[in-house]
Amino acid sequence: MNSASPACRPALALLLAALLALAPAAAAAHPHVWVTVRSKIGFADGKVVSVTHDWVFDEMYSSFATQGLAKPGDLVTRDIFAPLARENAGGLAEIGYFTTLKIGGKTAEFGPVKDGDYWMEERSDHLVTFHVDLHLKTPAAPGQYFSLLVADPEYFIDFEFDDNNPIALVSAPSGCSASIAKPKPLEGQDQQKLSESFFTNLAPGTNFGFKMASRVIVACP
Amino acid sequence: MIRFASLSRAAAALFAALVALAASPAFAQLAQRPFMVGGGEGGGGAAGGLAGWLIEMQSQLTRLIAADVHALHGNPAAIWGLVGFGFAYGVFHAAGPGHGKAIIASYMMASDRALKRGIVLAFLAATLQGTVAVALVGVAALIFNATATEMNAAADWLALASCSGVIAIGLWLTVTKGRALLAALKARFAHRAALDAAPIYADAPWRRAAGASAVVAFRAGPPDGMAATDDPAACGHLHAPDPATLETGFSWRGAAATVLAAGSRPCSGAILVLVFALAQGLFAAGVGAVVAMSFGVALTTGALAFGAVFAKRLAMRMAAGDDSRIALAAHGVEFLAALLVVAFGVALLLAAGSGA
Repeated sequence: MNSASPACRPALALLLAALLALAPAAAAAHPHVWVTVRSKIGFADGKVVSVTHDWVFDEMYSSFATQGLAKPGDLVTRDIFAPLARENAGGLAEIGYFTTLKIGGKTAEFGPVKDGDYWMEERSDHLVTFHVDLHLKTPAAPGQYFSLLVADPEYFIDFEFDDNNPIALVSAPSGCSASIAKPKPLEGQDQQKLSESFFTNLAPGTNFGFKMASRVIVACP
Repeated sequence: MIRFASLSRAAAALFAALVALAASPAFAQLAQRPFMVGGGEGGGGAAGGLAGWLIEMQSQLTRLIAADVHALHGNPAAIWGLVGFGFAYGVFHAAGPGHGKAIIASYMMASDRALKRGIVLAFLAATLQGTVAVALVGVAALIFNATATEMNAAADWLALASCSGVIAIGLWLTVTKGRALLAALKARFAHRAALDAAPIYADAPWRRAAGASAVVAFRAGPPDGMAATDDPAACGHLHAPDPATLETGFSWRGAAATVLAAGSRPCSGAILVLVFALAQGLFAAGVGAVVAMSFGVALTTGALAFGAVFAKRLAMRMAAGDDSRIALAAHGVEFLAALLVVAFGVALLLAAGSGA
């Protein structure tokens, strides 16, 4: 191509310009699944030991998940849901459990999810819930504060904390309290990253969903 | 053309490797992403600015579509809202990654110079995509009462077939356009050599005649018509352009294959709407919404295909000079666009592989 550069330069410039113009629009995908989150942070002997999630899915995903599983009019029970629950739980480790727990500047590691740690069921309002207990590999001292983030890095799923009782602290040292922090608006650099992502992977890269997520801040005295 | 034969072999080997990767158990394992919906459609997006607005619009539209399906129970007129929101959803949704849009636009850039055909192809691909979703949910859920897991598996197979097809078309285009580019390069060198050897330029260093380039730069006719409209003597041409290097390269067979490959992957959003409508006992309304969505997708994709062809025309016009030079520019653009088709196919395959 080098020998052809005088002829191709304007053509290439235009081709690139056209593609760059398409890029921002191309990156603007959106989530397909919406989840309302309620989480419990478990303590033992003053240390954080577990995170328990109850995720409620939107009605479209709920009808998708329940399709073909029960007779019309019947609710899908935990037993009937067991295979789909296992399938979903099995993929959690790879995506980081959709859960980032940062304590003392470090990201806590969770052990693998075992049978009995999770279940899925259809509520009476026909919304599907997924329940899972995540256990920290090593209990961590809460320090003055730590944070919990529930998000899909690829942003296929939009996780939002429930308006009512989004977070509960179980057996926490007295004086610990939790609050929700809304996400910061994206900066110019992130938009740039979106445009670049069009050429690399057609997805804006990892961790993008994290920027969209609300964050729980737990402060302890 | 020894170099060329080895290129084809390398391309064939690459394709075989990709098929092997896709068929491997590792791929099947990776595809088990929690709470996925079939179709191999990636997430991705941002909040802020236009992108954030688009995401918010689509989230709102999804809720409005769901609300309208509920409303249909008591109010048949809600179908118009459903169709309207479905159409709007399609327009915004086609701007997302993974849709046939990028493939159709690149294909058009690689193989065509006719603006209208891009719109037809976009329309056909979007219609096929909607039809595949309706057929999948209609057959799997309505007739066989399939579960989410089974529908995901079926959608994943369709997605896999779709990306493999896109990669195959891209490789075929790359080979064809690579060959044409080489021919154009040769013609260009021959043209220069002939000019250098011509008595009137014998002592002059090679340079583009200023007058000639000005004429060409403002030429209004389509580049395809170059050979017919140019007076070779006026531009100092020593030979007419080789028709083989200026052909449009468009074939309906290739276009049909592209439509089939780009459109055979159902879209996750359409599957969700259809299953939801089915669960409400209103499958027909879901079909109406998906048809409207397909029109919306066709509108966006068609606009992009139009833009792609237009950009190429403009590029060729700016590559002012004699015919061999324009041919070279055109073939360069087409070759790059062919590579893009391969890249999109591979990216889709990887996205499907990671279960996004």
